[in-house]
Amino acid sequence: MDTIVAVKDLTQKIGKKTVLDGLVLEVGTGECLGIFGMKGSGKTALLHILAGIDRFTSGKVLVAGLDIRRTEGFKKYIGLVTQERSLFQDLSVAENLDFIAVLKNAGRDNIGPLIRRLELGEVLNQPAGTLEAGLYQRLALACALLNSPRLLLADELIGAIDLESRRIILRELKSFLAGGGTCVWAFSNAEFLPHVDRVGWLEKGKISFYQPAGALARWSGLIQSLAGQGGDSDA
Amino acid sequence: MLNQGLAIMRREVFYLCRDRGLRHILLCGSLIGLLLFYAIYSAQVLKDIPAAIVDLDNSSASRELAEKISKAEYLKLVASLESYDDLQELIKQGRVIVGIVIPENFARDVALGRQARVLAVIDGSNMIYATNASAAVLTVTRTISAQAGVSALVARGVQLKQAQEAYQAIDFSEEPWFNPALNYAYFLVLALALNIWQQCCTLAACLNVIGERGMKSWLQIKASGISKFKFFTSKSLAQILIFMAIVLPLYILAFGVFKLPLNCSLPAFLLFTLAFAIAIHSIGTLASSFARNAVDAARFGMIIALPSFVLSGYTWPLEAMPAYLQKAARILPQTWFFQGINYFAFKDAGWNLMSHFILAMLAITAVCYGAAAILIARD
Repeated sequence: MDTIVAVKDLTQKIGKKTVLDGLVLEVGTGECLGIFGMKGSGKTALLHILAGIDRFTSGKVLVAGLDIRRTEGFKKYIGLVTQERSLFQDLSVAENLDFIAVLKNAGRDNIGPLIRRLELGEVLNQPAGTLEAGLYQRLALACALLNSPRLLLADELIGAIDLESRRIILRELKSFLAGGGTCVWAFSNAEFLPHVDRVGWLEKGKISFYQPAGALARWSGLIQSLAGQGGDSDA
Repeated sequence: MLNQGLAIMRREVFYLCRDRGLRHILLCGSLIGLLLFYAIYSAQVLKDIPAAIVDLDNSSASRELAEKISKAEYLKLVASLESYDDLQELIKQGRVIVGIVIPENFARDVALGRQARVLAVIDGSNMIYATNASAAVLTVTRTISAQAGVSALVARGVQLKQAQEAYQAIDFSEEPWFNPALNYAYFLVLALALNIWQQCCTLAACLNVIGERGMKSWLQIKASGISKFKFFTSKSLAQILIFMAIVLPLYILAFGVFKLPLNCSLPAFLLFTLAFAIAIHSIGTLASSFARNAVDAARFGMIIALPSFVLSGYTWPLEAMPAYLQKAARILPQTWFFQGINYFAFKDAGWNLMSHFILAMLAITAVCYGAAAILIARD
């Protein structure tokens, strides 16, 4: 299995706080790596670095074999779903797809199939800013996949959304992975642990790797130990 | 590549069109300004300046003088008063701008050929009124004084023709060029409307960078891999085209309908305006590139755009300002533009001078865009 993401000694400091502390990780082609952690654990910081949005303090990051500090060429291989609502709020669904396709220099061939697969046909003229959470995430995923990326970076891809949108998004993710795509999916809900191939548990800037079953077992243990104090199943 | 640029430009135009507030400010601000200023200066020159006469002599000579003053072209006699205090009160109340005080013994002094002193009082609190009143009083008093002098010489036995020649030995004739009627509308209306236009454009340009960087959608732009240079160049091109599209109806109305003077060719004047539009856009972009948020950017825009018109030397000559202010003013494109309006719209001063002005504005542009590019790249 080829390596599409190689991270070595990645450190990210924001002010005096060390958000990521010497991270080492590799993601193989076709793999779905789940980045699991509590709020503020550095999941978004890691994904933004991998997407080339944020600079980092030290370390080395290769995406598709390209050093992301030296070139932006790797961006044509990635698709990004952000945790925040980062689509163009004033543009309609169709305009967002069209404009982001142009920004990515991706051509418009994928727009039609993505609209169909993510079932966005009925809201094409609706401004993105007015979409309900589930529809918004479907559109965000469609926009991320416009350039047929080799690597999908998804930050809280499925949050508090309707079940139908969740089904559609998981179906599309499965199809993307089946087509040879790679995914780094950051989430804080342990419910999604079984959906990934491997789990990178991010805590205090350090990452530990588990198989999904092992991560679930650790999570269950944490829940049990906190039961007396009243925890829940979300990180 | 071209597709990307065109799509970004299209989105920019679409954003400006969809934003109702910005659209109204950009489209209507300067046009309403032009209409308003044209209405304000429709009188073109100040006539009927309210005047009062205090005749302390009450003689036929003083009445004759009062009669002549009352017929002066730009003065309107609104009161004949009996004391200096009454005049003072009326000027304080703003009912009179010019007061003529004819002293006691005026008739006697004139008859004896002595120098008679007549006091002309002018309310200086409003400079525009005062300057015009002063010119109007000077015109009438000069004529009356000459007539009195001629009469005195005739009374001493000098022939009338000789006396007249003695008083008109040098004939000064005034001939205002480029604005023969010294029309206020010609001087002020276009410049004031363009001042509103440039302020609106500067404010819009101030959102160029922060309007993207301050939004969550900046993440999409950064992740897409499009170069910032290409993105902001396309966006800036669209904004500059919009600025020019806004100024076109302004010029059509000003030169076509209101017949304000345009002595150079319209294409040359548009080229000159384009250089200015690019220059103010570069200043706005620079402000936008170091602003922390849109409010900050708008503040910077206001700080630059509002005083720049006064600093430009349009309403008060640049040469009369302190040397350090003159230097500061020349850093601003507004100075070159508003000075240029006089040179090119009024005087058609020629391509050599215009190219010099355009080059000055483009030099400012290069510095501002360069600095903005460095700041954006460092982000």
